[in-house]
Amino acid sequence: MANNKLLTFSSSPHIKNPRTTRQIMMHVCIALLPISIMAVVYFGLPALFIILVSLISAVLAEYIYLLITGKTTKEILAQFDCSSCVTGILIALTLGPKTPLYIPVLASAFAIVVVKMLFGGTGNNLVNPAITGRVFAFMSFTSILANAFVAPSINSLVGGNTFSATTGATTLTGIFTDGNLPTLSNLDLLLGTGLAGCIGETCKVALLIGALYLAIVGIINIGYPILCVVVTGLMTVCLNGFNFEYFLPSILSGGLILGAFFMATDYTTSPNTTLGNIIYFALLGLLTAVLRQATGIETFSFILLLMNITVPLLDKFILPKPFGYKKSKQGGAKK
Amino acid sequence: MISKVKKGKFYPYGIHVKDNKQLCREKPIELMPAPEIVKISLSQHIGAPAIPVVNVNDCVVIGQLIGKANGAVSANVYSSVCGVVTAIEDISNDLGQKQTYIVIKNNFTDTQKTFDDQVDLSSSQSIIERIKLAGIVGLGGAGFPTAVKLSPKSPLDTLIINGAECEPYLNCDFRLMIEKTQEIYNGIGLVAKALNLSNVIIGIEENKPEAIKAFEKYDDLQVVALKKQYPMGSEKHLIYCTTGRKVPTGKMPFDVGVCVQNIKTMIACYEAVELNLPLTHIVMTVSGRGIVEPKNLKVAIGTPFEDIVNFCGGLKDKTAKLVAGGPMMGKALIGLNQFARKTDSGILALLNEEISFSQPTNCINCATCAKNCPMRLMPMYIESFTLAGDYLNAEKYGAMDCISCGSCAYNCPAKRPLVQSINMAKLKIREMKNNGK
Repeated sequence: MANNKLLTFSSSPHIKNPRTTRQIMMHVCIALLPISIMAVVYFGLPALFIILVSLISAVLAEYIYLLITGKTTKEILAQFDCSSCVTGILIALTLGPKTPLYIPVLASAFAIVVVKMLFGGTGNNLVNPAITGRVFAFMSFTSILANAFVAPSINSLVGGNTFSATTGATTLTGIFTDGNLPTLSNLDLLLGTGLAGCIGETCKVALLIGALYLAIVGIINIGYPILCVVVTGLMTVCLNGFNFEYFLPSILSGGLILGAFFMATDYTTSPNTTLGNIIYFALLGLLTAVLRQATGIETFSFILLLMNITVPLLDKFILPKPFGYKKSKQGGAKK
Repeated sequence: MISKVKKGKFYPYGIHVKDNKQLCREKPIELMPAPEIVKISLSQHIGAPAIPVVNVNDCVVIGQLIGKANGAVSANVYSSVCGVVTAIEDISNDLGQKQTYIVIKNNFTDTQKTFDDQVDLSSSQSIIERIKLAGIVGLGGAGFPTAVKLSPKSPLDTLIINGAECEPYLNCDFRLMIEKTQEIYNGIGLVAKALNLSNVIIGIEENKPEAIKAFEKYDDLQVVALKKQYPMGSEKHLIYCTTGRKVPTGKMPFDVGVCVQNIKTMIACYEAVELNLPLTHIVMTVSGRGIVEPKNLKVAIGTPFEDIVNFCGGLKDKTAKLVAGGPMMGKALIGLNQFARKTDSGILALLNEEISFSQPTNCINCATCAKNCPMRLMPMYIESFTLAGDYLNAEKYGAMDCISCGSCAYNCPAKRPLVQSINMAKLKIREMKNNGK
């Protein structure tokens, strides 16, 4: 045999689709570029620093953890999938522009080490690391985060509430408890002009462009987050006397679009079946609308955390039937 | 019945693979000259191995019986060259499984032995007897004795011919369909007579328009143009896309009144029944970018792989993997020291850029495998239970329903060896059942 090289001997299939986990995560990072750029455009250098610090902390946290557990740098680089980059960027996008830089460091480190690595690394986390990192920051530094929103608007509530830049009065609370619609037009809410809020939650157009990119390269199924967003809007409409004027503002305010399109669609923490996903995203939308109404703050992160915990249950009981499955007449259904 | 080409049913699960068939799609089948030595296995089929009926130093001719079927589910084995039996030895395959081989040294003469009597073409029983005598097994790769398949317990109403050839790189069925159309049609007629049915369908994938056109002219054969999708050639999915019937889990095609046969088996049946020839040669594709000159060949059973590959110009230096069969379900080889069997349909030499050999990483629960599985199983659960040793749960999530097509592992971004784990689960579950658990 005229061949001096060694042959590979492994199980079938011998040809595979070249897409890897790392490539998928890189696509997500690319999809987060538009919103990161808009964040810097609206809020300037502070936003850039927050994003970079958060990104670097997440990657370093994973690197240091793996070093401590005994892996060599070469091994770590070989198996580096960019999932920590995604976590870092997402955590940064949920913070206000005046957030002191130690908060993204702590939040990223917590998200990577406690939520992901301690449970077994990529793919083994029970809850979404980015959302849990955000909730950790919120719980630990509530007042600091509350004051991190930039002038000209004053924002006394945490969690991506949006304010009119000029009047500073209408809040997310305003929509739900006082029954007042925001004074910003829907277009302003969409583009994020004049909006004060978390750096990644203002320009919805950039978020939607990123989400569309992910749908086109086949990474997310865009139907599910759209379902979530529409259900939120409809539920808000129902809770406010069936007034359709509430539909668009409720969707375009707060962290709903960032959360639904980028965080809820995370592979590891979403269900594995079509029916499971429909239930998951619908409940996400429903509960977000209800709790927003009840508490007056942006509750998406808490509801997402709650739904993440229900995913093992959804995956255990919702399974597709095999091709040609017939319930056997003796009563013992063959699985 | 007006034979209009029907479109196959749409089945949304399965994958799309680059088929790389253009490497030798247009090359007609060449007859490879017989080699110096052939080693013919006595167990090229499902069932008990054949018993040798020749001894060392016996002279044999082409078409002489050298191995007799042992029992009901077994098959005869015939010599493919003229020469002297030099040895009867045990050889291991690349997985370490031993089989008995009869080694014959070719004396390059041409004497051909054929069957003596003419088959009564109006009697199903005689047709089946001749097919059994000729040692014909499922030449699509399974190797199940055809005579047994043609004698089912309950009567059937449909015969489906598998012309899908969904595996990448392989072209042998396609070339046979356009070069030997009439012989295939005659074989189909014989098998339909043997089964006493008149509803015959041939399923051909859309990427073979010449083959579809070749079979359109027959009035009593329904041509179904199948969507190009892997694994359209899988029995259960072929039946569903041509007739709409679903084979229940754990059951066989005859339970829905259908018999599925491969193109090559039809030609072998025709040659055995009407030309009185036993099964001595097979058609295979030698392809892949690691072969200097990919070809479609007709080779004598027992020809060494090395001779076959040398006949195609040899291997290129950068060959990274050798595969017997198609790249999705074939078995990897550690060298070219195997010998052509009845069920071989391809030898592939693949280069680095064609194969995937990354180390597996963590499962990210993306459910791509579940979305692609044509049997609608959840491969990631079966794999995680198998790796934990929990075979009962692996069975609960469908390990025994798996057809090992490889669709799950093809698209897995973590490059996990799903088929390997599921095959192991099947092995262990069968073992447990045999031990009476």
